Amino acid sequence: MAHAADAAHADHHDHLPSFWRRWFYSTNHKDIGTLYLIFGFTAGIIGGLLSIGMRLELQDPGLQYFSNPQAYNVFVTGHGLIMVFFMVMPTLIGGFGNWFIPIMIGAPDMAFPRMNNISFWLTVSAFGLMLLSLFVEGAPGSLGFGGGWTVYPPLSTVGHPGPALDFGILALHLAGAASILGAINFITTILNMRAPGMTLHKMPLFAWSMLVTAFLLLLSLPVLAGAITMLLTDRNFGTTFFDPSGGGDPVLYQHLFWFFGHPEVYIMILPAFGIVSHIISTFSKKPIFGYLGMAYAMVAIGVVGFVVWAHHMYTVGLSLQTQAYFVFATMVIAVPTGVKIFSWIATMWGGSIRFTAAMQWAIGFVFLFTVGGVTGVVLANAPVDRYMHDTYYVVAHFHYVLSLGAVFVIFAGMYYWFPKITGYVMPEWIGKLHFWVAFIGSNVLFFPMHFLGLSGMPRRYADYPDAFAGWNLVSSIGAYVFFAGLFIFMFGVVYAFVRKEKAAANPWGEGATTLEWTLSSPPPFHQFETLPRVVDTGH
Amino acid sequence: MAATSDHQRKMNRTAIACVGIVVGMVGLAYASVPLYDLFCKVTGFGGTPIAVDSNSSQVMDRTISVRFDSNVAPGLNWRFSPEKPEVRVKLGETTTVLYKVTNTGDKPSTGIATYNVQPDLAGTYFSKLECFCFTEQTLQPGETLESAVVFYVDPRLAQDRDVKDLSSITLSYTYFPSKGGKPVAEVTSSTTPISQ
Amino acid sequence: MAQAGRRYSHARAFPDAFMALCHHIFRSFGTPMRIETGRRSVTALSTAAVALVLGISEAWAAAGQPSPWETGMQEMVTELGQSVSNFHTYLVWLITAICLFVLALILVIIARFNEKKNPVPNKTTHNTLLEVAWTIIPVLILVAIAIPSFRLLREQLVPPQADLVVKATGYSWYWGYEYPADQGGFKFDSNMIAEVKDLKPDQPRLLGADNAMVVPVGKVVRVQVTSADVMHAFALPSFALKIDAIPGRLNETWFKAEREGVYYGQCSELCGNGHPYMPIEIRVVSEQQYAAWLAEAKQRYASTDGSAPVKFATAQ
Repeated sequence: MAHAADAAHADHHDHLPSFWRRWFYSTNHKDIGTLYLIFGFTAGIIGGLLSIGMRLELQDPGLQYFSNPQAYNVFVTGHGLIMVFFMVMPTLIGGFGNWFIPIMIGAPDMAFPRMNNISFWLTVSAFGLMLLSLFVEGAPGSLGFGGGWTVYPPLSTVGHPGPALDFGILALHLAGAASILGAINFITTILNMRAPGMTLHKMPLFAWSMLVTAFLLLLSLPVLAGAITMLLTDRNFGTTFFDPSGGGDPVLYQHLFWFFGHPEVYIMILPAFGIVSHIISTFSKKPIFGYLGMAYAMVAIGVVGFVVWAHHMYTVGLSLQTQAYFVFATMVIAVPTGVKIFSWIATMWGGSIRFTAAMQWAIGFVFLFTVGGVTGVVLANAPVDRYMHDTYYVVAHFHYVLSLGAVFVIFAGMYYWFPKITGYVMPEWIGKLHFWVAFIGSNVLFFPMHFLGLSGMPRRYADYPDAFAGWNLVSSIGAYVFFAGLFIFMFGVVYAFVRKEKAAANPWGEGATTLEWTLSSPPPFHQFETLPRVVDTGH
Repeated sequence: MAATSDHQRKMNRTAIACVGIVVGMVGLAYASVPLYDLFCKVTGFGGTPIAVDSNSSQVMDRTISVRFDSNVAPGLNWRFSPEKPEVRVKLGETTTVLYKVTNTGDKPSTGIATYNVQPDLAGTYFSKLECFCFTEQTLQPGETLESAVVFYVDPRLAQDRDVKDLSSITLSYTYFPSKGGKPVAEVTSSTTPISQ
Repeated sequence: MAQAGRRYSHARAFPDAFMALCHHIFRSFGTPMRIETGRRSVTALSTAAVALVLGISEAWAAAGQPSPWETGMQEMVTELGQSVSNFHTYLVWLITAICLFVLALILVIIARFNEKKNPVPNKTTHNTLLEVAWTIIPVLILVAIAIPSFRLLREQLVPPQADLVVKATGYSWYWGYEYPADQGGFKFDSNMIAEVKDLKPDQPRLLGADNAMVVPVGKVVRVQVTSADVMHAFALPSFALKIDAIPGRLNETWFKAEREGVYYGQCSELCGNGHPYMPIEIRVVSEQQYAAWLAEAKQRYASTDGSAPVKFATAQ
């Protein structure tokens, strides 16, 4: 792997394009990755502000900030859609994926750089449409679509005759198209552009996770696109796919949506699994434990993820056998997930761990994801889910796996790769302070939601019976703390750029074995013009 | 150079295969609409009664009660009700039940009916020989129509361990106003406007 | 029902006082930038801590509605609900044990395998026995979950013979109840009581309805649920009951309430502006009281043959 460093040095005198050409016509995977990271962060702030609006409203019973529950529902819907499609996916897949997949597999760039550019700008346009939809009429007499990110008909058809959802559907089309193009790009890159000697079984786990994720995108997004197109024609052209008055079935929409929706949650978490594996291995100064098991656990999660969708639908009136099957299939997923958790622990076991900011976030993730995972096992059981369904228990569960899961890994990755991406060192205390603020804030925010759910509080409620007030107040306080943590991160970024302390090619020492650490920080505009030769990755 | 173009061809092949998967999945999403419908009709999934041409089953002594439920969606000024709320039938016995529907509005209107059976699991055993469903029905103001449902409960029900002790099955009908192919955005919304 | 009323009003005195306090304190958040805000939230939090201690003892008082600072399921009043609750308790023990196990491992790692204590890492990357163990043991745990789970699922979904059938129809945004022709033959709407001053003493805000669904105690009640417009969901936590109301489709579920009382639920499928304002109130009464109510209801609500109900909920 020493060859890579030579290749890097040979590149120092390449010409940078002008600002406009570099950032708007960009075909360079690193520049596009940077654009995605900035975009994802911006979208995250907007989505986060929506959730702060929700928590302000829920801090007390009664309506304080919203004039009616519909406006609150619009916030809920916007928060969900933005966080899923414009924060987590662009950051993990578009940002970190674009930045590090080509480098990790020893490729000079993505397979289709121009298509990469199209993907990014499609995502931005999609976000524009999504924001626009907040300002056009949805339900009669009110702005925006407030039917939840799941967009269930008939609320999304007869319930919202205004054009807001049409904008939303088009936004999802564009975002979906962007993701599909991105997925094709990743698959082609990973399958065809690995450096000589890097077999699939020697490929870094992040590349594995992106390969599985890309296939999930390819198989699930077209189904969402199909379902929302049917919704669009139901709304505007008189078809009756989901309209019972024309022989359609609203339950079919739910089947189609969750056929996409369930793999979608793995699309959000698998890249996070990949990133965490690298961080844990780096700072334990140990190769990842059970590499093949880790890789195939992700494949297994991806495959089984496609046959469990109706566990989101236990209350629609499915028959006994159907529910029993989905209980069984859903619980199966716990097995490969357990393999991953225990393999991370085994990787740390016997290691010589440096508790850097990135490592703290990663360890925090392992524990909190376990908490979110076990409540998932509870919810998998239809008889209990009947009580929990559509209550705050579900909200607590999926925020533990996504907000305390995927988002924690986004920050772990940010602190891990910050010196590589920017070439500057961010002081460790900033990331550590951010971690503790976020760890405390997010647990105060989401843990009481379990209690609220058990106590029976339904989700998507702008106003609630007074008995729920206590835990809601606690939860809101947690939200403000969690959100305040973001400013520590922003401060850290600015501080690092002002301080301009140059980062070494490999600031993390012997544990950092993937190819990006063989390049300078930041890597040259074009890397690996002479392909590195992979002899042994140490697995 | 030959190696590069070979490599490029390989990459294009991968990309085209991916596009193929995408097109296939979109196709599958659309195919799911008729397939789901067919699946429900064949297996009785989701409480869809099975349509049959004739009743060739043996009449058994075991009886079961069949309840009839009726709904009219908003936007249709119709009165719609079964002749009686419940009948007791022997398994395998062909029974006819009448539903009565009256247009109580002052304009002619067109409706279309959908139905399902509860509990869900009984759908497989609820065999209908004749019914009014998915056909548009136009009623003049004040006009009353009697529609017949001819059905039997398949005696195989007694052998299914999940439903053998079932005491009653409900057949539910809902009349919707026919939208005549008009999109929902143009049809009056069923939800009340939000007062700010 | 008078007796039931006393029981609940006792439990309500506390949350009301607490909420009044909270409300008073946090109104100030709406006004921009007050110096005292910080100190005030500290006050609120310490009030919260005290309330937590008190709340736990209060939590036992009320069945059929949430209690302040509750940390578990609502008290169940059906046998099946009790089974669900017991099964959940079993799951909570299991998942807590798993989380503590993972946490313990992480703490050991932090204590033993840091740079200072263990400068030279070992390079173990495989241990077949371990890897088989952490595949097989979770499978066994899942089997231990699945067996009672399937049994319970069967109990929920294979309904016993019903003594009474009530149909609930979801409208935007209220519930309509229908007692079919052979059960009384009337229907009525159930709207949330919008004004706090109109609430009966045993009705919490947002949960109390003007006309409750009334059923006799100890009888198997089959609830058939459908919707007239968008989807809603008929839910009653203390019966462990939840079923979606879907237009064009009749769904059904059942319960057998073991105790008289008033039990509350709320719409549990997002249905638009009035989603939080369409509560479900079920009054479980003795058989005599039920007969009396039935006789009165038949008079009051005329007959099922009336035209479709035209009435809209007044959202706050």
